[in-house]
Amino acid sequence: MRLSTSGRKHYIATEFEPSKEITGGSWYVNGDLDTTFIDQIKALCLDIIRKLKVAKVATADGVYDFFKANRLTNTECTSQQVSEILRSMVLDNMIIDVKSARLGEYHSIHVGQVCYKCPPGDLNKGPKTGALISISYRIFPRIKECTSDGLISPTTCVYYTKWLDFR
Amino acid sequence: MLSPHGLKLAAHIISTYFGDIVCKVCECLLRRGPLSQLEVTRFTELTKQKVTDALLVLIHHNCVQAFTIQQPGGFGEPPKIMTKYMALPDNIIHHMRFPKFLSIVSDEFGQDCAEIFEGLLQHGRLSLNQTMDRYKDKHKASGENSSATNVVHENFSKLAQARYIERCPAHEPFLEPLEEGAKKRAKSKIADATQTLEARALAAAAPMESQRFLVEADTLIGGVLDDEDSKKSSITDIVGEKRKLEAETESWETNERKEILWRVNFEEFIRRLRHKSCVSHVTERVDSVAGIVLSAIFEASRKDETRVKTEKTVPLLLETIYEEAMKTEEGRSLTLERVRAALVQLGCELPTIGIDETYSIDLKKIIYQAQAQEVESIVLKKYGREAYRIFRLLSERERRIETDKISSTTFVEKKDALKILFQLWKDDYLNLERVGNEAQKMEIMLWDLNKRSVWEQVLDDMYHAALNLKLRLVHELDHAQDLLRVLKGKSLKEGDEAAKMRKKVQDKWKVLEASFMILDDAIMLFHDF
Repeated sequence: MRLSTSGRKHYIATEFEPSKEITGGSWYVNGDLDTTFIDQIKALCLDIIRKLKVAKVATADGVYDFFKANRLTNTECTSQQVSEILRSMVLDNMIIDVKSARLGEYHSIHVGQVCYKCPPGDLNKGPKTGALISISYRIFPRIKECTSDGLISPTTCVYYTKWLDFR
Repeated sequence: MLSPHGLKLAAHIISTYFGDIVCKVCECLLRRGPLSQLEVTRFTELTKQKVTDALLVLIHHNCVQAFTIQQPGGFGEPPKIMTKYMALPDNIIHHMRFPKFLSIVSDEFGQDCAEIFEGLLQHGRLSLNQTMDRYKDKHKASGENSSATNVVHENFSKLAQARYIERCPAHEPFLEPLEEGAKKRAKSKIADATQTLEARALAAAAPMESQRFLVEADTLIGGVLDDEDSKKSSITDIVGEKRKLEAETESWETNERKEILWRVNFEEFIRRLRHKSCVSHVTERVDSVAGIVLSAIFEASRKDETRVKTEKTVPLLLETIYEEAMKTEEGRSLTLERVRAALVQLGCELPTIGIDETYSIDLKKIIYQAQAQEVESIVLKKYGREAYRIFRLLSERERRIETDKISSTTFVEKKDALKILFQLWKDDYLNLERVGNEAQKMEIMLWDLNKRSVWEQVLDDMYHAALNLKLRLVHELDHAQDLLRVLKGKSLKEGDEAAKMRKKVQDKWKVLEASFMILDDAIMLFHDF
């Protein structure tokens, strides 16, 4: 079932295999996103980048070569697929992308080529929590309704009382 | 212009510092824009004297600026000269940052300087002599009066050289009438016309740059200007009377003894805090060396920066940056090559020809990244991980993207992606454009980030949260004072109770204040940086 015309049925003889454009691409199985496979590839990519001892940065080709050389998955994974996964991991803030200037740790990578590395700090922490979330939304889930003269107010709010209750 | 909760926060600050009457007058100006004294009296329904006193307090504490303009008279009548007053919302909000400003001065120049600076924070405006008197009063008991003059002069000069203090602007500059062409252009955009009037008033009031931080002229004859012929009105005069058209020759404020008045230069503190925020963000996002290099760039270009919200740093030679970085303990071990690599990590491009390598950092981008990080954190908390990925994609690409492309790039099922996108659109985070295709009877949906709306929403939420913290702080203090009043003069056991109560209140105060300071950093990131 093609993504762009989802809902429209296509009929095909059993001896033929539908093309990837019809089935929805290499990430789809029976019309659904193969999240298990995607998560598996993501975990492997993160592991490869984390364990880089010398360079600490990797290009998409470098990660793909590592996949191929070590046969890390049962299903064949293309260079294009690895690039897509790495881009998605950047959006998840699991890794960061930088362009090489062929200086320092990028000395072996061509100028302008996109590389990937782990963000600094504790990798298990996840994306940084902003001030508004850490001070307000996390402690006061109903902050939007909290007003100085309303039913819920900072002076009567039970969440404030709980937060400031030192033992 | 402040957001709704920003206005409430500003009003709360004025109320805390100066009381309800002054707050009423200030709130009137904040909500209605520049007004004459008569208009303020009418809208607030206070007496003329109370309005006058309130305006004087607000002007003295740099929360209001007065200016005179020429207004056309009625039929056959000559034009009228009118004095108007406008609130300075940024300066009002800065009042809640005084501890940060004091801390900067204390760290850089020590306790004596901080004490002198504190006087300016407390009193709004002081002359050098008034600062001297205040210092002598404070140190009377310790018998340090003999050296007080030198101490005050030295520290006052330090503060002026560092641009932490400035001469007060003219208290009532006259704005020349606009030429006809400029008037028509101003009328076509009413909101911009008010902005232009306020900007013109501030520009007209500001002392010349060459005089703004000059202490030497101020110290003639013990800080008094040598002007015996002057019969100019002082700040204590009743305002609102007709002024003579001949403008005063001085472009700075003086008191009744003709001494030059000084005040805190908020702009410089905001600049320093902006630099600190950029360095902190870069250190966290890249590494500590990038932070050291950026810090060195700021130090080296401090005198050349012309405004606070500068988009790029002043171009500097690699050698200049390197020499500045070497001055710090952390930067001593750096090599030229490492500094060059850090500059590239900060987004600079290597020059193709290696002669006269100059580098300039895109600060606007760093500030945007820090702001985006704050907003993404909210999206993650409110809408979940998949929405976070989608939001980051739209934020980074800065152009319209089709639903299918969003779904495939972020690995989110199309139906889930649509649900998330519609939810974000409903909450004003995104813009939606539908592009129809008659031939294929298909509608394509294009999405992009509604940046202005999101940033405004987030800032207003921050003001809301800050106001709530302030209100709770006041509530905790009032509650504790009531309890302590009850426990006062009781037996020893109950005295212990009082001590425990005091400790509990202090702990609560520390938590609330610390939370407030963190939130205020975020407010500055969105409003001042």
